[in-house]
Amino acid sequence: MNEITLMQYIFLIQGAQVGTGILSLPRTLAEVSGTDGWISLVVAWFLNFLAGYVILLTIRRYQDFTLPDLFNYLFGKWFGKLLLLPLIVYYACYGWMVLINAMLYIKAWFLPKTSEYMIVLLFAIPSYLIVRHGIRVQARYSELVFYMMMWMPLIFLVTLKYGHWIHLLPLFKEGFEPILNALPKTVFAYAGNEILFFIYPFLNKKQYAVHGLFIANTMTMLIYVYITIVCFVFFTPDEITLLNQPALSLLKTIEFRFLERVDMLFLALYLIVVTKTWSAYIYCTVFSTSQMLKKQDHSKHTLVYFIAAIACTYVLNPTWNQSERWTTMLSNASMIVLYVLPVLLLIYTFIFEKYRRWKAA
Amino acid sequence: MSQATEDRYSCSCSLDFSKENVHMLNHDLSQNIEKAKELFPAAPDLVVFRFAAGSQEIPAALLYLDGLNDKNSINNHILRPLMYEIPDDKPGIPAPTISGVRTVTAWSDVEKAILHGESVLFFEGKPKAWIYSTQGWPQRAIEDPQLESSLKGAHQGFVETGKQNIALIRRYIANKELRILEHTVGQRGQSKVWIMYLNDVAHPEILQELTTRIDKIDVDAVINTGELAEYIEDNPYSPFPQTITTERPDSAVSQLLQGRFIVIVDRSPGVIIAPTTFTSFFQSVDDYSMRWQIASFIRLLRFIAFMIAMLLPAFYIAVISFNYEIIPLQLLLSIAESRSRVPFPPLLEAVLMEITLEMMREAGIRLPAPVGQTIGIVGGIVIGQAAVQAGVVSNIMVIVVASTAIASFILPSYDMGTTVRLLRFPMMLMASMFGIIGIIIGFVTLVAHLTALESLGTPYGSPLAPFRWSDMKDTFIRLPLWNMVKRPKSARPIQDIRIGRKRPKEDES
Repeated sequence: MNEITLMQYIFLIQGAQVGTGILSLPRTLAEVSGTDGWISLVVAWFLNFLAGYVILLTIRRYQDFTLPDLFNYLFGKWFGKLLLLPLIVYYACYGWMVLINAMLYIKAWFLPKTSEYMIVLLFAIPSYLIVRHGIRVQARYSELVFYMMMWMPLIFLVTLKYGHWIHLLPLFKEGFEPILNALPKTVFAYAGNEILFFIYPFLNKKQYAVHGLFIANTMTMLIYVYITIVCFVFFTPDEITLLNQPALSLLKTIEFRFLERVDMLFLALYLIVVTKTWSAYIYCTVFSTSQMLKKQDHSKHTLVYFIAAIACTYVLNPTWNQSERWTTMLSNASMIVLYVLPVLLLIYTFIFEKYRRWKAA
Repeated sequence: MSQATEDRYSCSCSLDFSKENVHMLNHDLSQNIEKAKELFPAAPDLVVFRFAAGSQEIPAALLYLDGLNDKNSINNHILRPLMYEIPDDKPGIPAPTISGVRTVTAWSDVEKAILHGESVLFFEGKPKAWIYSTQGWPQRAIEDPQLESSLKGAHQGFVETGKQNIALIRRYIANKELRILEHTVGQRGQSKVWIMYLNDVAHPEILQELTTRIDKIDVDAVINTGELAEYIEDNPYSPFPQTITTERPDSAVSQLLQGRFIVIVDRSPGVIIAPTTFTSFFQSVDDYSMRWQIASFIRLLRFIAFMIAMLLPAFYIAVISFNYEIIPLQLLLSIAESRSRVPFPPLLEAVLMEITLEMMREAGIRLPAPVGQTIGIVGGIVIGQAAVQAGVVSNIMVIVVASTAIASFILPSYDMGTTVRLLRFPMMLMASMFGIIGIIIGFVTLVAHLTALESLGTPYGSPLAPFRWSDMKDTFIRLPLWNMVKRPKSARPIQDIRIGRKRPKEDES
């Protein structure tokens, strides 16, 4: 009954990946690898897909197990919970981080005089309505938002006629090294495959899980590459590193007879896209905690999460610099969760199953 | 009484008459009548007519409530045969010429029958009663429904008699798969409620859910369909209507054919259609009887109107008081010029006008038609023009309010229209507090709510959430009918195909 379709599965992954990172991505890439940055995105996409595939290889063996069940099974009741705890913290922090990033954007562009926690409270209202229900509502929401916001990248096409494609040439200006160096910068933008642990068990056609993952990651990559290239083509390679959010600055140059500031409207509408990113992570968090405490209904945990998120924001009053620092820290954690953990889990389950069979025989 | 008569009026059950049972009918006619009068104290409309029946002149009595019965059938089909038609060949009492007859022996049944407008016949020496369905009450003629008028659809609307409404639907679907389940709701009201569905199309799980919910209702009486809808809906706190109530048999039937359920409530001219989706409130019967391009255009217009009615005043407030940088300077200047004389903040100005409009609308409904026109004049000239000249509201505000009003009246469903008109107040509040972001948050909240909302356990947001490409043929646009081979998935029909084959091509056929 509690199943999601392949399309919903794709949009959940894609939704968890595409968040606030996209707005500043062209700059962070340009800082390290110049206008070759988009090649890093393609390389990162490949690595990400591989890592996601490894996750699928592991959990394919335990089709109905979500992450808490899996840990419970693999590591025993108490040790499993102990190992799960840092992961829950990771999901919780990631969700909160996306909230904070979005809050900072909104505060800077729209509500400079409103206090931080107030904006997070605003975000919490719709998110609570989504997250407190099951995975299906989450999936339906992601799907609807994707279709609703599909037109958004098209706006960038307007700027292309002022672009200079020469900025992109020559390819591999300084060899491969800068391209590889930029890879860590893409982690925050690409993180999202880790929700596979929670959505795979609900997928109704499990044989297409890998295909779905591939499509979702490719869609993410195409969007990122598209935005990055559009920005690289429009701004000069030096200019782009001076802009905080090149994607928004780009939109600022568009002007219609009836609409002066396209960038503002775009950012406001883009908030709808970002809601699905944080709600995916928050869903994983509250789902894990409620499973850990053996509760069927996670709506109370959702409420607690949002109250905690608002309280944290109230106490910490995050700024851009802090957020940048935390994002880097979280990216390091993401690297472990995304690339190291799956491999370790795969090796462990391999040995674990061997051992079990040996013991049984 | 002869043997033949005895047989005709005999009942298979045998009773122990030696025991004095107060709940059972008596042999003695006078005692029965006394008891009946005891059961209905202070009921001047209870008619007790005593007469002698048949050639043997057996004392008999006919009891019924005056006004709930059809005088014609009582006089001509019960009393005339019993009193005057004395058959020559067969001795005994002639039978009344009415098909709906049954015999009962308990007083509770007699009481129920009289209350429901049936007539009860007692004979001397018989411990039972014959009940004839002679109901006939004051009834409205079948007319065009006022709330959902249509240009090209049928001009018949449901009436207050449930049985007639069933007949109106049966006329459209002459199929034995059309099933009707009867329920009784209300301790005192004893309203009959019928669930109609197509057995081979509608999903049995939803039927189970609907039946359970109707059975669970424990109230005094259900006066109106809207009341029943409120008792069986999924989320009582949602502003959105979760079932369609319609007075049109043709739209009810079209929903029936899609695999949905219809609930008819006796004594109410509206029927409930469930499960419902959000987008079905934007469809009207007329859509299917005009060119599909035009129907598509009108349907898109309705969705745009929905957004305008909900968001335009909020957007105006946000642009005026928060995000004035997003509109071009020229436009901003002309707005500022018009607003320069207005002393109120934008929210107050907007709420003032919106509430005036709502009051005028409500007044227009309640007043009789000749007086109702005055409201238009008062509203249009006095409130609109004079208020602007007096500098209470700005010209632009009047335009905004007027266009939201028009937009909200485009929606074919009155319920959805009122929902939108209510929702724009919180939207305006959000806009005045947080500007554009407030509107976006409000909008996302609505989307989230609609995604999570269910109607009889099926997703209310379908075909948008969950997204169903195949249902898109009849959502924002209406493709040609021969194109819609399958029934929409949102009602979870168990039979998919509704058209046999595609349209004949070229010279075929």
